[in-house]
Amino acid sequence: MVHGDPLIVRAKTGDQVAQGKIVQLWYKRIYNFGYKFFLDHDMAMEVSQKTFISMCRNFHNLQDPSRFKSWLYKIAVNYCREEARKKKGSRALSFDLVWNMYAEDSPKWESSAQRLDNPERQLQQLELSEILQKALLELSEEQREIVIMKEYEGLKFREIAEILNLSENTVKSRMYYGLDGLKKILKKRNINENTIGYEL
Amino acid sequence: MSYRPDEKDWMAYLYGEMEEGEKLKFESYIEQHADAREELGRWKNLRAMLSRADEKEVIAPPLFIDDRRRSVGGRAVYWLRTPYVKIAMSVAASLLVVILAGSATRTRMTISGHEFRLSFGEVQEGKEGQQNAASPILSEAQVQEMINTSLNRNNSLMQANLEETQKKLDASIRKNLALNSGRINDLLKQASTASQQQITQYVQGMRQENMQQVKDYFQLTSTEQKKYIENLLVDFAQYLQQQRNSDLELVQTQMKSLEQNTNLFKQETEQILSGIITTVGTPVRQETRN
Repeated sequence: MVHGDPLIVRAKTGDQVAQGKIVQLWYKRIYNFGYKFFLDHDMAMEVSQKTFISMCRNFHNLQDPSRFKSWLYKIAVNYCREEARKKKGSRALSFDLVWNMYAEDSPKWESSAQRLDNPERQLQQLELSEILQKALLELSEEQREIVIMKEYEGLKFREIAEILNLSENTVKSRMYYGLDGLKKILKKRNINENTIGYEL
Repeated sequence: MSYRPDEKDWMAYLYGEMEEGEKLKFESYIEQHADAREELGRWKNLRAMLSRADEKEVIAPPLFIDDRRRSVGGRAVYWLRTPYVKIAMSVAASLLVVILAGSATRTRMTISGHEFRLSFGEVQEGKEGQQNAASPILSEAQVQEMINTSLNRNNSLMQANLEETQKKLDASIRKNLALNSGRINDLLKQASTASQQQITQYVQGMRQENMQQVKDYFQLTSTEQKKYIENLLVDFAQYLQQQRNSDLELVQTQMKSLEQNTNLFKQETEQILSGIITTVGTPVRQETRN
């Protein structure tokens, strides 16, 4: 999506069709941001829905349409933090977690959206993906949100700084320590380029 | 001048967000330092590994946004939806409902003195006036006097009733006594005349019955005794017979034994004698013959 997109301008004026299209365009990104933040489908869905409801209700507060991306991620980050606070206070167990623990469902490689030709590679890929997501979860919230926004959502350091109301240097510093933390976590689990056998 | 990249430079270079001048400096530093090249290689490897994390596929669900606020006129009516205003409106609506219900049922609440009165429908002035007229205010002494008068009247009435009842009871008791004594006398007379004959009959009957009982008793006991003695005698005779038989048997066995002994003795004697005879021989015979 191009910044200053007429779709955003239309959505800002209250055009529900335009708002619906924006939801369709950005839902996957916000969901994946929430999923990587919590490693939980239900929480990611909760955050995504709240984010887009808030987006539609507060579109008139968006001053500069070119900053839509930062504005949207700011809403998402705030909801992620809110849900994380709630999660700390409650002892509820995620349905996803229970389901995955005890359900006799189909093999993991079958449920993958990215169907590769080699099932063994698919399984390896899924295992690696899980390991990486769990490693992300071990980071502090402050580092995790920056690593996700930078590494997976492709935001500029400037945008992240704007979203989090921080200086760019602070964002870079947190990113550095976040990546360093991930490196140590993966090393502890003996995960490196040789063990996963990928080509750079 | 020595250049050494800090953590911010590493991140800026790694993600391609370094300015051109800074980038050149950083790259020359990398070229000069092998450990920095290794470090950069490690960061790149990490990024390559991180990129292997899957993207989850998800379908956006339909969102239904309540846009009434916007349609009514934006912020102008927003304050109407705040919780305090909502509560106040609810209370006001409840009061209105109560007032309307009260007016429809013509509910009246009155408090006079220590009395709370709740009434529905039309006010009936006439009845209230009558009630007020029927309940004049009396002093305590008057009330006490009224109670005393009423009690005295009641006491005298009760006394009169008691006396009258007492008289009636006395008369009734006397009458009953006279009637009952006459009846008892008659009954006694009848009983005295009839009892002599009955007693004699009864005594005679008793005597006969007693005699019969004694007779029967003696007869019964005598027959029983006879039977007993007979049995006893029979038993004794049998005993004697048995004793005799056993004695006879004993005597017989002893006799047999004696006989056997005697025979034996005879035989022995004969043997001894024959032995003597054989030893002594014939001369003796001859002498005896001679």
